[in-house]
Amino acid sequence: MSSTPYNYNYIFKYIIIGDMGVGKSCILHQFTEKKFMANCPHTIGVEFGTRIIEVDDKKIKLQIWDTAGQERFRAVTRSYYRGAAGALMVYDITRRSTYNHLSSWLTDTRNLTNPNTVIFLIGNKSDLESTREVTYEEAEEFAKENGLMFLEASAMTGQNVEEAFLETARRIYQNIQEGRLDLNASESGVQHRPSQPGRTSLTNEAPNNKDQCSC
Amino acid sequence: MEELLNEVVPQEDLERFEKKFAHELELDGEVTIETKFEYAFCLVRSRYTNDIRKGIMILEELARVHPDGRRDYIYYLAFGNARIKNYSDGLKYCRAFLEIESNDQVRSLEEYIKKQSDKDMAKGMAVAGGAALVLGGILGLGIALAKNKQKRNN
Repeated sequence: MSSTPYNYNYIFKYIIIGDMGVGKSCILHQFTEKKFMANCPHTIGVEFGTRIIEVDDKKIKLQIWDTAGQERFRAVTRSYYRGAAGALMVYDITRRSTYNHLSSWLTDTRNLTNPNTVIFLIGNKSDLESTREVTYEEAEEFAKENGLMFLEASAMTGQNVEEAFLETARRIYQNIQEGRLDLNASESGVQHRPSQPGRTSLTNEAPNNKDQCSC
Repeated sequence: MEELLNEVVPQEDLERFEKKFAHELELDGEVTIETKFEYAFCLVRSRYTNDIRKGIMILEELARVHPDGRRDYIYYLAFGNARIKNYSDGLKYCRAFLEIESNDQVRSLEEYIKKQSDKDMAKGMAVAGGAALVLGGILGLGIALAKNKQKRNN
């Protein structure tokens, strides 16, 4: 445990979603450990990872919830969407079915997150060009139509993995700067850790909303 | 690992899957494996020990009757036991899992449980050690007083 209160200015919550076997956990592992996990078993329920990055000289701690792609976890992992500032939606460029299911993943994301949640589409396994089933142009078009950011990446070579996480953070940070995110609302997925001491809060309201307990 | 174990299921989710469970039970007199699992997955993430225990019971039953899903059940059995600080059972399930499949997710849960259980043991020793010191002090004081009294009496 460190004695300094915080070595970062913000916390952003991310989720990673998409069909089973598209490489969600490998993308996370590549991002947090800078290594490729060769034989990656199916995630059970949900996994978690963090890394501190820098945007605009501000240190940002990413808290990343990596959900299982197996169908039996689909309903229960919806809990984790709530309060996500960023959603990385992953498909596998060598398996068309994982691309075809994107609209259902997108519907879930839109329904369960807030309108400012940044959604980044990742076409993983870009190193496997010879078995490609989804063209770059097609996915780019889908992303444009739905207002998503988009990159093809490879968890194996590491290509564009870093970029996807960082671009998402930059867009979230931009939303904060432009006042689109309410940092006091838990569903924004962003927490601010003021680093300068002596900075005081201006809210005077007493926390008196506890009497509505339904127990 | 800590973040995963500290995460608490939203109350509305727990209630939703509880309702689904109760509904099936009422309608058909039995509950599907899928619904049992969803409910147990929420229960072991509850803030209340009784919920977690209930989740563990459901998972134990599922592990017996549904071998196809066993790795999920065993992982969440370890997870639930870790959350109620039942570290010996938590470790037992981790080891059972790792005997069948090498898995980093389970290995980090195992490491976490080991660390917590060592910490608890150290705390217990410190408390016991402290108590021994206090007891020793009282005894010492008693002996000293008694000796003093003896001296004065002589």
